[in-house]
Amino acid sequence: MPDPTELTALLSRVALGDRAAFRRLYDATAPSLFGVALRILNRRERAEDVLQEAFVNVWNRAGSYSAAASQPMTWLTAIVRNRALDELRGATRHQAESLHDEDTGEMREIEDDRPNPIGLLEQAADALAIRACLDAIDGPQRQCLALGYYHGMSHSEIAAHLGSPIGSVKVWLRRGLARLKRCLDRT
Amino acid sequence: MNYDRPELLDRLASEYAFGTLTGRARRRFERLRRALPAADVAARTWEARLAPLSQPVPPAQPSSSVWDAIDRRTGGGPAATRGERGWRGWFAPALGFAFGILATVGVIRLYPSTVIPFDDIVQQRGTLPASYVGLLTDADGAPTVLASSTRHGRTMTFKFLKPVAPPPGKRLVLWALPKDGAPFALGAIPPPDGNRSVLTMSGTSEQLLSNVPRLAVSFEDVVPAPGATPSPFALTGHCVKLW
Repeated sequence: MPDPTELTALLSRVALGDRAAFRRLYDATAPSLFGVALRILNRRERAEDVLQEAFVNVWNRAGSYSAAASQPMTWLTAIVRNRALDELRGATRHQAESLHDEDTGEMREIEDDRPNPIGLLEQAADALAIRACLDAIDGPQRQCLALGYYHGMSHSEIAAHLGSPIGSVKVWLRRGLARLKRCLDRT
Repeated sequence: MNYDRPELLDRLASEYAFGTLTGRARRRFERLRRALPAADVAARTWEARLAPLSQPVPPAQPSSSVWDAIDRRTGGGPAATRGERGWRGWFAPALGFAFGILATVGVIRLYPSTVIPFDDIVQQRGTLPASYVGLLTDADGAPTVLASSTRHGRTMTFKFLKPVAPPPGKRLVLWALPKDGAPFALGAIPPPDGNRSVLTMSGTSEQLLSNVPRLAVSFEDVVPAPGATPSPFALTGHCVKLW
């Protein structure tokens, strides 16, 4: 995990157009940020496009970064997640075309080889020492939280994935987020 | 929707930061976030709260072409690549910079009486004295504040070309953005009397600004201590030497 103080210093230099600082910022943060985008998009080339867009954005917006308002990694992760979510949802609209095999007229499936994200949520909870609090959240709510956050799934995608009604998923997510907030605010 | 309700903002911000706010609702919240500071604070609070969840995601190495593309698109990259992009590659930034300075000088000509300590000198000598001048523009690029100081003077004079309203309890703080180094605060701009205001600096313009190509203004609760990091800039602009 890169040192926040160093990242803040790098960002303030990037705001002034320092290219060497921009490269160091990229080297220090790109692997973590790429991991986040890859988890959401599940396709290397799409995640690389998102990473590229995000860093061009960072170069242009570094002047608006405020260390008083957010930690540098929080700010960078939010930029990457937002881009990845936009790409995922924009892509979903095109997927019907690109996956439609012209010869057979059949839909091809893209295999989802990502591990169940519940493990990531549990690891995060362990690292934050809030595992007991997380475990007290109902199973379906925890599933919704993990699929929504790590895989960027929408309500309807989670509903399809779990084979549950969308109404239930919305309730689980709303309650799950409220419970998660209480857990996270304990740290 | 009544966005004054904190619980509604908090719920929207939670779904936005978490990612389940989608489509038009997501775009609407992004616009709201830019327009309403309370919405931005709520979103940042949720982003900070959820950020630790990304920690255990295994890192992965992107291919080297990603950096190459970023480098090229942000104006760096090898000379050969720049050549391929044609004259716009180097001319556009140069033109932008030149335009910023021309705009600064142009506004001074439009408002010759604004440069306060200059009035007498200009009348006596018929020329502008050696000075540092900055034209600060808002997020839309509209000229908003003209800052000027004689080269060896300790006061910076401001002419407000349009009103600037800081949020309640906040003040306008002027920042110098040096060529190499972190921004540093020059001080709080006193509320304008009419459309003018004068700030006394800790040193002369020459001492403080000789290596400063840009100025900026942010809204702060207090005058920042040395080494403090600025809040997002509300106004920015070139700082030019006029001599």
